[in-house]
Amino acid sequence: MPRINKLTLLPKVPLLITESADEFDALRDAFEREIKPRGIVEQMYVRDISSIVWEILRLRRCKVVIINAAFRSALQELLVQVLRQPGQSRYDVEHDAQALALAWFTDQEAKKQVSEILSQFKLDEFAIEAQAIRSSSADLELLDRLLTSLESRRDKALGCVAEYRASLAHQLRESADRFVDGKGLHRLEDAASKRSTAA
Amino acid sequence: MASERQIAANRRNARKSTGPRSGAGRKRASRNAYRHGLTLSVASSAAVAKQLDKLVRKIAGDTDDPIILERARETAQAELDLARVRRAKVALIERASAFGELDPPQLFGTVTQIIRAIHALERGRISSLPEPINSSATMPPQEPYRLAEAVRRVLPELRKLDRYEHRAAVRRDQAVRALSVESV
Repeated sequence: MPRINKLTLLPKVPLLITESADEFDALRDAFEREIKPRGIVEQMYVRDISSIVWEILRLRRCKVVIINAAFRSALQELLVQVLRQPGQSRYDVEHDAQALALAWFTDQEAKKQVSEILSQFKLDEFAIEAQAIRSSSADLELLDRLLTSLESRRDKALGCVAEYRASLAHQLRESADRFVDGKGLHRLEDAASKRSTAA
Repeated sequence: MASERQIAANRRNARKSTGPRSGAGRKRASRNAYRHGLTLSVASSAAVAKQLDKLVRKIAGDTDDPIILERARETAQAELDLARVRRAKVALIERASAFGELDPPQLFGTVTQIIRAIHALERGRISSLPEPINSSATMPPQEPYRLAEAVRRVLPELRKLDRYEHRAAVRRDQAVRALSVESV
């Protein structure tokens, strides 16, 4: 289904080929329903906010996947540490640790065995997760910086919509007051008399 | 004003500063002037200039006030800059996902390494040059692992682009603020 570009003047928000345009449109429509943009400037902000939120979701998904992808090597590393007996080198236990780490994902028996080994040292599956986070900490830190920057920009954009609206409302109120006080009427009369003399 | 001695000392010191000497340093310095073109004005292409003019007109409304038109132009320009940075971000991730990395894999980092490899080949120590590592083969085949790995590999570049995006957003917000003051 082709994407509907309601405002062709504004550039299309680029998506990855693996991402769903319909899902993005649904997200943008949800923001439009909430913010009810009036005019092109507010439309611009709604697109900006939708695009930022979309990117935040993308990066958050990546963050989880990066940790999950590091699970196997994290488990292997942990098993090497706990299986090693005094006097043994890491190479003595590496093969067993590797096999057990691989089986942990598919074999319930292996999972049980790992749990038992870890519990001997008062460790559980959180220790694997902690090691996975530790081994990908450099990437996670960069991702977090990107996320913080995006979140702050999203909040600023939301604030800007409110500020823009408040400023317009304030100025409209001021001009309405001028009309009520008669100053606006004088100006209109002046403009009308100038037009008639020019004609 | 610098004295004769100072001038001579400056010249002597300048001769010492001849830039990077190692192959890797020279290679890195050769890319100093190359960035990503994001600092170029958006209006540098005719099609975008046309789009910019239309957007300016839409933002400014039917006014001929030059100040409002200028503010509207600043807003539109920043908006198109933002769009350009976002396209660049997506393109980088797509490229890393397809090829495994942004630069093509290189067999040798320096000229010295090439010379050594040729000598080794001539003396029969190696029968052929090694194949460069195929980076795309190191990518996970399935989603969402492939996307996450692509994002992970281009994180430093994404961070740089994020700074450009931030600046464009600040420029747009300032222009919109100024526009709303001028508009009514």
